[in-house]
Amino acid sequence: MYAWKCWRETRASFIFLLMMSTAVALLITLAPGITEQNGWWHFDRSEYLHNPFPTMEMVTIQILTSLGACGILAGLFFGSTASGSEIEPGTIEYLWTRPRTRTSVTWTHWGVCLAEMLIVALAPIYLAAAILGALTRNWEMPLLLLAPWMIFIVGVPILGLTTLMTALRRSGKGGLLGTAGVITVYMIVRQIVLVPLHLHPPALFAGSLFWLMNSKPFVPLSAFPWGSLVRAVLLAGAFPLAAQYLLKRAEV
Amino acid sequence: MSEAAIFTEGLSKSFGAQAAVRELSLRIQPGAVYGFLGRNGAGKTTTMRMLLGLVRPTKGSARVLGLDPGRETELIRILERVAFVPQRKQLYGWATPAELLRMNKAYFPRWSDDAAARLAQRLEIPMKTAFKKLSIGNQSKVALLLALAQEAEVLILDEPTAGLDPVMVDEILRTLIEDHVSQGRTIFVSSHHLGEVEQICDWVGILEEGRLLLESRLEEIRQEFRLVIASGEGLPAVQSVDVVSATTDGRFRRYVVAREAERFAAELRVQGAAILEVSPLGLRELFLHLVRKEDACTPGNVGAKPAPVSSFS
Repeated sequence: MYAWKCWRETRASFIFLLMMSTAVALLITLAPGITEQNGWWHFDRSEYLHNPFPTMEMVTIQILTSLGACGILAGLFFGSTASGSEIEPGTIEYLWTRPRTRTSVTWTHWGVCLAEMLIVALAPIYLAAAILGALTRNWEMPLLLLAPWMIFIVGVPILGLTTLMTALRRSGKGGLLGTAGVITVYMIVRQIVLVPLHLHPPALFAGSLFWLMNSKPFVPLSAFPWGSLVRAVLLAGAFPLAAQYLLKRAEV
Repeated sequence: MSEAAIFTEGLSKSFGAQAAVRELSLRIQPGAVYGFLGRNGAGKTTTMRMLLGLVRPTKGSARVLGLDPGRETELIRILERVAFVPQRKQLYGWATPAELLRMNKAYFPRWSDDAAARLAQRLEIPMKTAFKKLSIGNQSKVALLLALAQEAEVLILDEPTAGLDPVMVDEILRTLIEDHVSQGRTIFVSSHHLGEVEQICDWVGILEEGRLLLESRLEEIRQEFRLVIASGEGLPAVQSVDVVSATTDGRFRRYVVAREAERFAAELRVQGAAILEVSPLGLRELFLHLVRKEDACTPGNVGAKPAPVSSFS
């Protein structure tokens, strides 16, 4: 039943993100075919058939650039509804006096959010890929098919970080702003270090997404940032574990 | 003696330098209706939270239905058998009472749909309005409904009737008596409404600054406790464990005596005092005498420190 409650609380964000990313993906996918003739807009498939590979490459890059952050956004919004967010409004007394362990509450929320994030990452891009494949009559689009998983993998540590920040700040808004602050500060510091000092600090767990965004089709897999992927997986587990530890010891 | 429904021994809780509960020892028998009284900040809510694992004790131990709320596995078994109405009756604002009922039902094996439906009707709860749109009174009723329909063995109610109108308070009290007290369930209730406590409780404990000042059967308070007013210059100090509180009011001294008030009055007379009155005490008068700051006993006054007067012993 707690899973249902998690779904109810994240439903609005989930539907908003899903609709927005689907709309963006569809717009980008169909844009090369939309032309104007005598003041009338209509859809012309010839661009897809005559130049399938450049069209696919352009659509892929635009989708990745536009939707690359949706995993992070989903992680932020969903994570801010974790059980730590119930401390400030006081509903935690209700939640923690139900016969369920705090650990199960933390991981149930994490599981529900993970499923939602997977749908937000997968559905719009695979829909775009299906349309693009049908229009170009070509189904070889490895980057586009890989993209949702990278977006998802980058989003999961953010979900964990927001869950942790929510537990630390004892409020949903505090968790959301705290995580946004951490991400912003890291990115600013990274830019400062990167540009004037010519240093290359790691993108922590977002390396796979950057690799994807900077890749052209048929980039060798040897350049894939496996270290970043491993960090993402480790942090995806470490952050909610830390949140679980905090919440288990929290007094209200 | 059967296992206590609620048992604490030397239970203490401090928040930094602030002691919220000090050396609290309670033994509440199954089926008892125990009124836990005290001023704001006396430590009642903290005690209840310690019993439910929301707060960890600094010292001492607690048992609910023989289980330790400090151990997670035992706490879960406690929570299956205990219903709790917190002081701050805050539930999910987006949910309707009907949704909250469905959500709550899934947690409790002994949940009664019949009781829930009956109570919802009796308490006149609008079941299809979002919780955040309900009045404070209706929100309190929903919190009570969720707890009472659990059919729990122990009810821990922290100011359950706060914000309710007198008609609803009466409904709640009647429900508690008819559906819970009559079935031998244990109720541990804190309230500032002493009339309500007198109506349903058979035991009372009075807490002040985290210490249990008094614990007694309500019947015993009615039958045994007396207010003794004496006058005279330089009244002698009286050492007696039966004196619960003593205050000086000009030339008069007021003593709250737990038992054998006539014998105590006679002792005062022997020591030169004039006894103006020996009268029975209601719970309200007793409470006020015990917890008013200016009424607190001081060493060298009457001697009887505000120590717990327990009839369990």
